[in-house]
Amino acid sequence: MKKLLSAIKNLVVGLFTTGKHLGRHAVTVQYPTEKWTMPERSRGIVVLLSDKETGELNCTVCMLCMRACPTAAIDIQYDKDEKGKRILKDFVVDHGLCCFCGLCEEACNFAALKMATKYEFSTLNKEDLVWHTDKLQEVGRDVPYEKPERKKPEAKAAAKPAVKAEAPTEPPKDTATAETAVNPGKPSEELKPLTEENKENPGEGN
Amino acid sequence: MSAPFRTEEFLVNMGPHHPSTHGVCRFLLTMDGEVVVKAVPYIGYLHRALERICENRTYHQCLPVLDRFEYCTSMSCEYAFCLATEKLAGIQAPERAEYLRVIMLELNRIASHLIWYGTTSLDLGAVTPFLYGFREREDILDLFEMTCGQRLTYNYIRIGGVSRDIPPEFIPKLKEFIEKFPRKVDDYEKLLTENPIWIVRNKNVGILSKELALGYGVSGPALRASGVKFDLRRDDPYSLYDRFEFDIPTGTVGDCYDRYLVRMEEMRQSLRIVKQALEQLPAGDIKTKLPPNFKPPKGEVYSRIENSRGEMGIYIQSAGDSKKPLRVKMRGGSYNQLQVMPEIVKGGKIADLVAVMASMDIIMPEVDR
Repeated sequence: MKKLLSAIKNLVVGLFTTGKHLGRHAVTVQYPTEKWTMPERSRGIVVLLSDKETGELNCTVCMLCMRACPTAAIDIQYDKDEKGKRILKDFVVDHGLCCFCGLCEEACNFAALKMATKYEFSTLNKEDLVWHTDKLQEVGRDVPYEKPERKKPEAKAAAKPAVKAEAPTEPPKDTATAETAVNPGKPSEELKPLTEENKENPGEGN
Repeated sequence: MSAPFRTEEFLVNMGPHHPSTHGVCRFLLTMDGEVVVKAVPYIGYLHRALERICENRTYHQCLPVLDRFEYCTSMSCEYAFCLATEKLAGIQAPERAEYLRVIMLELNRIASHLIWYGTTSLDLGAVTPFLYGFREREDILDLFEMTCGQRLTYNYIRIGGVSRDIPPEFIPKLKEFIEKFPRKVDDYEKLLTENPIWIVRNKNVGILSKELALGYGVSGPALRASGVKFDLRRDDPYSLYDRFEFDIPTGTVGDCYDRYLVRMEEMRQSLRIVKQALEQLPAGDIKTKLPPNFKPPKGEVYSRIENSRGEMGIYIQSAGDSKKPLRVKMRGGSYNQLQVMPEIVKGGKIADLVAVMASMDIIMPEVDR
């Protein structure tokens, strides 16, 4: 009998706790019509950023983002002009492979790409998830960003030995800062094996 | 004269798509009527070869993979890996970064226990606590999202620090959370602790004795509920845990109810740590600068941390001349807790198996990796 009374008492206590919510209004967001404002740092789709005045892409084809990507979702194709400078041919992001880790954005020194706060990109076709330069640039046009100050070539040259002092053993081709973009040498040898190897391992990003 | 009443044992597959197996785990049960005679867990349905994937990635690229190791407490996985790498390379993270890490780890522990609270009660038939638990978890996830941009796969803790400093609106929001959360835990307890149905389903169900727990290497809240006061935050302090004051709750019997009580108390203690860390939070750097071509010296290291599901360890072997680890091994607490389950569900009902599995807080991606 005592047990029964205590049971009833505790059921009432539980009901009282839930009852506190009776008078409150619902907090449900009716998604397609109402939307959250995403936090500023939210990592959504990858977009390419362009210069606000000239409208040209900020990308210098330094390939750092491609190398930083853990799932090989970024593929950059480029041509070379007569001086050996790289000219962007196609910048491909496979959003189906992307794991939205943000490492590419961090690797970029030129504010060339960003993970925008946009998140609606579902399609019926798997192929539509592969975005090329045009689409990436178009979507990225209204994305706010702060452009880092462009260093003068002298400043760059001064910055380089400082980086080297920290890691004296590294080969020069891996100090892929701004110099890589204007380096007339071959594309980094390391680049290709890494990408291929990554592609051999499907199933990441689950 | 009628024939004698004859019974025989039969086999039942519980899972792999059973809602209460928290992932995809299959139990092959030998049943005698309603009683479990033998239970054999079959694992591997969520195997993604994470260790192998890590061996094909550079150290920085491993971190997004580690997020998927144990997705309820991604921060812990990242931290365990970073701790191992830092030990290997002899890097010391700045103090502010360490404090931020502690705040994030403890908030993540609370979030994980809230998932456990919600799903466990759901498994045992109480739907309301599920909504309550996930409501407060949402606040924590909002804090994470405004800091690192994601709600589940944070990729926040990095080798040598954290990826970004907290935004200015973080601290007021965290203070608000610290203010209100103890009341919410009281609410949770009001819903379940004295509830007669909850007591019947949990008390003296799935008793895990001290010897059995130690024998199987069970760790975390499940071990503490059996009466062993073992917590890596106190017994093998990492990060800054020796600077904070907190209690380690332990149980006496080792049944599902004790495990429930221990976890509820742990949430309060975690909040205490967050509070202290927030008060002591210094200004300063958040990241040690690493060379772009980061190669730890040759060697091997095992580091372990106290996760919300027990001891989480990462073993790394480095060749010394490579940007990628030579070997990565992950250890999760869930594995041992799953292995001990056949012993403690023997002789119980199927419904008790659900209760035991829920209270052990097993998460299958951590078991299968």
